[in-house]
Amino acid sequence: MDNGMESMLDTYLFETNSLLDRLDEMLVADEKLGDLSVDDVNEIFRIMHTIKGSSAMMEFGSLASISHHIEDLFFYIRENGIDSLDPAHKKELFNLMFRSEDYLRGQVEKVENGEPVDTDMDSFAAEINSFLKKISGTGEEQTSAPPAPAKEEEGRPADPSPSALPSSLPDDKKAVCFLHVFLEEGVGMENLRAFMIVNALKECGLELRYYPENMEMNSETCAAIIEDGFYVAFEDMESANKASDVLQTQNHILSYELVDVAAMEAQAQAEAKAAEEAAAAQKQAPESAPAPVQEKPPAPKPAPPKQAPNAPVKQNLISVNLMKLNSLMDIVGEIVITESMVTSSPELDQLNRDAYDNFMKSARQLRKLTDDLQDIAMSLRMVPISGVFQKMNRIVRDMKQKLGKDVRLTLVGEDTEVDKTIVDSIQDPIMHMVRNAVDHGIEENVQDRLNAGKNAQGEVILAASHTSSEVIISITDDGAGMDPDKLLAKARDKGILTKPESEYTKKEALGLVMLPGFSTNQAVTEFSGRGVGMDVVKKNVEAVGGVVALSSELGQGTTFTMKIPLTLAIMDGMKVTVGDSIFTIPIANIRQSFKVTADEIIRDENGNEMVERMDSFYPVIRLHQFYNIETAITDPADGILMWVEASDRSFCLFVDELIGEQQVVVKPLPAFLNCFELKNYGITGCTILGDGNISIILDILSLHAAALENV
Amino acid sequence: MAEPMNNESNVDVLEMPDGEESSTVERCLTFESGDLILYISTKHVIEIINNYPITSLPLMPPYIKGIINLRGQILPVVDIRLRMGKEAAEYTDNTCVIVLDIDSVSLGIVVDSVRQVIDIDLQNVKPIPLKRQQKLLDGMVTMEDGSVFMSVDCQALASPQL
Repeated sequence: MDNGMESMLDTYLFETNSLLDRLDEMLVADEKLGDLSVDDVNEIFRIMHTIKGSSAMMEFGSLASISHHIEDLFFYIRENGIDSLDPAHKKELFNLMFRSEDYLRGQVEKVENGEPVDTDMDSFAAEINSFLKKISGTGEEQTSAPPAPAKEEEGRPADPSPSALPSSLPDDKKAVCFLHVFLEEGVGMENLRAFMIVNALKECGLELRYYPENMEMNSETCAAIIEDGFYVAFEDMESANKASDVLQTQNHILSYELVDVAAMEAQAQAEAKAAEEAAAAQKQAPESAPAPVQEKPPAPKPAPPKQAPNAPVKQNLISVNLMKLNSLMDIVGEIVITESMVTSSPELDQLNRDAYDNFMKSARQLRKLTDDLQDIAMSLRMVPISGVFQKMNRIVRDMKQKLGKDVRLTLVGEDTEVDKTIVDSIQDPIMHMVRNAVDHGIEENVQDRLNAGKNAQGEVILAASHTSSEVIISITDDGAGMDPDKLLAKARDKGILTKPESEYTKKEALGLVMLPGFSTNQAVTEFSGRGVGMDVVKKNVEAVGGVVALSSELGQGTTFTMKIPLTLAIMDGMKVTVGDSIFTIPIANIRQSFKVTADEIIRDENGNEMVERMDSFYPVIRLHQFYNIETAITDPADGILMWVEASDRSFCLFVDELIGEQQVVVKPLPAFLNCFELKNYGITGCTILGDGNISIILDILSLHAAALENV
Repeated sequence: MAEPMNNESNVDVLEMPDGEESSTVERCLTFESGDLILYISTKHVIEIINNYPITSLPLMPPYIKGIINLRGQILPVVDIRLRMGKEAAEYTDNTCVIVLDIDSVSLGIVVDSVRQVIDIDLQNVKPIPLKRQQKLLDGMVTMEDGSVFMSVDCQALASPQL
């Protein structure tokens, strides 16, 4: 029971979030055009409709109510055409929609965090309503605002019937019979539940109409449904019978009865009355559809599209728990290891030649298959980076408005695929850099841009591309660029210079931006300039094994480039031994391995060792000393030096022996050992080697920090 | 070589009629370590393995022997002797690793030898009447033959000490 609820909540959150993402995408794109297309109006209507329906089902009142009001709003826009809005209203509409989206997202976040959703959403709902009133007031007809026709329509079935029919049957000339359905008492959201039941009937391919017609949009019909139940009209008895079968499978139904219109005495009477009524209605409201029968098209419409946004998703995509993918990855890793255990087993030597050849043939086949399996398992975790990129559209849009800068964001290579865990961890850095680019990069004054011979509209290019092992993400602006002298002056004021100003190269001066506590903007804005900027970005990117580089031409613009490994789960490593232990050094960190003689090692006054390489001196860390491992090899001439580099830190590791290169599956160390904080001592995890032994994976960056920076 | 527990449990079964089985009786695995006979509830025991290569980890206190690869799962291994502050002993053929799962913390403990599975009535378990700094054992019980078994405090075992 609990589990079912949980997975329902998961599905709800996933769906709602993807709908909101879709909404965001659409709004940002449409706002650029300053207009909403008919399709988009329909789609927004559908999105709100779905969110409302599912939120009501999950009993998240605030979400249901706000999406309900937006749905009303878009119902009006859809009926009257987007063109009935003047540009000022459209602009206001976009702002309102963005704020609604934020509000809905905020609520969804609360749900995700297990907090209760807001109960007080009246003021925001009132805002949407007042906007609706405003636009409907300027439209041709005041009465056609949704709440008004809703009442009108609600009244209609009741109006003619009391005199004509014994029960309050809705007025539907074509219907042969009705199902009169009563819901259980006190289930709440009666109108929506009724609508869901109607939908279930429709899903069975039945032709039907339902009354009150707009119950899914109008919560005021609740009362009527509680009192009188609701009606479903059929044009033949057969579908009505089928429908009553379906109803038995639905929840929250108290009772239902089949009402045969033909049997009704007063039928003829009613018909006459209805004709009169229709004529009267035509006179009253030429704008809205004259008779209920003709008015049907708008009402059933929302139902079929309700499935529409989900349908393509269900066909091509399924959402899978990340945990399952992780364990799949683990198992595939095991298979690869086990396979090499089997194929290198010493027992094979006892086979005769033919048998051995046969075995190896099958083994090669197996290897190919496991390789394929591994590739596929890897690719499952890869998601396009477009999700993150799309969010930047919104950020640029908001900043444009607040800062009054004219900037366009160009996205390149959105379909580049990156490991899911990495996507999550680079979203904030990208966001920060995009903000920086718009806030600090693009010139404050349009005239400055024109004087420099640039387009008045600033441009920020967010690009992603692949190499074999890395994703490269760059954020380029065509703004003012950075002035190394200004950066130096600022750094001097802050007292974060580490050597005389004149000795800084341009690259080093630019690098100052990444230091903690450096923020070039004099004034702190809402978006950037708190001085926790680039250093945090750098830290986050380094945490996933990436690097940040920066280049800037004064007057031309600035480019930030992030290089991030494609995945964290598998990496290429170099195996080395120290005593009995096997360590794996990420290949990406290795610059060179070389042998030295004892007299090439230089010592400082504390006995710290260094070695000269390509005209620079690099510290030497003896792994056996740092980790206290017993080994016979202590003479530099017997072992080997690995020159490693991570970010801007470069040093040499002294190890016993190089064993070779291998692709390894990274496994975390057991949680039991967390309190020893091995991560701070250069050990990030471990991996299982082909022979079943465990190798310890080194993290060059934290090893440097532990061995050399805390001296 | 792994010996799944379900084989083990047939070794020494004190068959009790269903009605008489009271909730205070717990099935326990007994083992020896550093001249003591210890026991741990079988509900924590996953399996018993021996002759597993242990990969040592640097910068660890001596009682953490390292990690093992148990069919792809990486488990930390604690030497009970050293954890109790006793002298280290050579590992022999009798030395084995008991794989435990204590509130979803998985770990292996190195013991001198495994004895058997017995039922212990928790009402007979007495507290240890000494005040100690490092508390790994939390009870003692006298068996019919007069020998004294001691209970391992699983919580203490599962929370490593620096």
